Amino acid sequence: MIEIDNLSVIFHANHRLVRAVEGVSLSIAARESFGLVGESGSGKSTILRAVCGLAPITGGQIRIAGEPVLTPRGRAFSRRVQMVFQDPYASLHPRHTIDRVLSEPLAIHGIGDTDRKVMRALEDVGLPTSFRFRYPHQLSGGQRQRVAIARALMLEPAVLLLDEPTSALDASVQAETLNLLSRLREERGLTFLMVSHDLAVIDHMCDRILVMQHGRAVEELDRADLVNVTMKTDYARSLFNASADRML
Amino acid sequence: MTLLSVRNLRVSFDTEAGLVEAVRGVSFDLGRERLGIVGESGSGKTMTGRSVLRLIRPPGKIEADAMHFDGADLMAASEAEMRALRGRRMAMVMQDPKYSLNPVMNVGAQLTEGLRQRDRLSAGDARRKAIDALEAVQIRDPERVLSAYPHELSGGMGQRVMIAMMLIPSPDLLIADEPTSALDVTVQAEVLSILDGLVRDRGMGLIFISHDLRLVARFCDRVLVMYKGRVVEELAARDLMQARHPYTQGLLNCLPRIGGSRGPLPGLDRNAEWAR
Repeated sequence: MIEIDNLSVIFHANHRLVRAVEGVSLSIAARESFGLVGESGSGKSTILRAVCGLAPITGGQIRIAGEPVLTPRGRAFSRRVQMVFQDPYASLHPRHTIDRVLSEPLAIHGIGDTDRKVMRALEDVGLPTSFRFRYPHQLSGGQRQRVAIARALMLEPAVLLLDEPTSALDASVQAETLNLLSRLREERGLTFLMVSHDLAVIDHMCDRILVMQHGRAVEELDRADLVNVTMKTDYARSLFNASADRML
Repeated sequence: MTLLSVRNLRVSFDTEAGLVEAVRGVSFDLGRERLGIVGESGSGKTMTGRSVLRLIRPPGKIEADAMHFDGADLMAASEAEMRALRGRRMAMVMQDPKYSLNPVMNVGAQLTEGLRQRDRLSAGDARRKAIDALEAVQIRDPERVLSAYPHELSGGMGQRVMIAMMLIPSPDLLIADEPTSALDVTVQAEVLSILDGLVRDRGMGLIFISHDLRLVARFCDRVLVMYKGRVVEELAARDLMQARHPYTQGLLNCLPRIGGSRGPLPGLDRNAEWAR
């Protein structure tokens, strides 16, 4: 579903070149859930942003369902791929009602039946339909993240890009949000590309994991590697050791 | 030896929507040790930390039967006496570097302000102390960081700058509010070992406020679990996995585990009785 070949993302900042991502390749099958882990600045979020056009592709290629992505991405792309951002306090427009947030993608794509689709979307993510005309500041962090997930699903995409979707949430709200994402993936056959710095979250959600450091891919692991601590590189091992409390 | 003693602390806010009781009768003693306070957002853990420094603005109100820090009565102290204690004797690392550092002052000016004003150090001496403090929190390029503004730093860097700032006057008590939540696991480990060193070598008392139960279990000596402004359970950190209270157990159970089941995570039961 997602193929990334030798991707590089280079920014120019203050007359310096910042090599955010260098020569990363990965391939994700349809309905698979793939995780990216690494410290801040390792380039994991940049990969997600490059896929959906928020960061430039300096070198290499990204293909979705076999087709190279276009720049700008276009409507066909947004029907297929959507993103959920880390901070639900920053990713919803503060002066748009939930109704407007959810109906805008339908309006842009000329899809009718807005009323019923918005109500349905709220129910799907477990929010009462009475929330429809509220503003984001009237919702808690967990409720906002549900709205962000509902928004991403309005166009019925096949792929969700998830950038630390639960790191701003309390433990119990994190559990509810992860359960919601797992249920939606099951029901709709979604493909996930997910970034998190919490190895336990990644292990709970993903089939395969790519460990990144300084913009490069370090090692690809599957769940068994993580549980049995059979990683080959020192860096992946040190990341695991620093997260040892996540086994408890 | 008791450094800080708090009895029946209550914090309330008289708002338009009625009285909000953020902290309702919290008591604890702190020696030269690491005490963790855990709970969800809104449980009152941050307000508990702030009241020790009496950093709650009206309409917020702090009441307590007794609150003593190393012989000083914090409830009876005047504003001037409190100011003499804050920073020098007891300090707090705030949660979010984005909001807690001054955005229009560079890091060097913020780090040296106290040294220049309070300790009357020369510019050169203050700068040297600031560089030492940044090195102590493992910042590799302290000269660059000194001349940087907060928006030019990453979250993890900003958090370490705040820790450095609080440690310059060598306080006896440090209250750290989610000091590592913006850091990734590897940097988190470094910051924890810095704090650990200060407790061990200098005999500092540390109150570590966090929502991350497993982190607290690994790092602290003792843990208070708060729910809706009350302490529902107090236990030794190493016994956290054998917690008795259903709320603490619920908080632990809703966390995913490496190698755990991939079925739905259990939700958290909340019982109004626990808050009584």
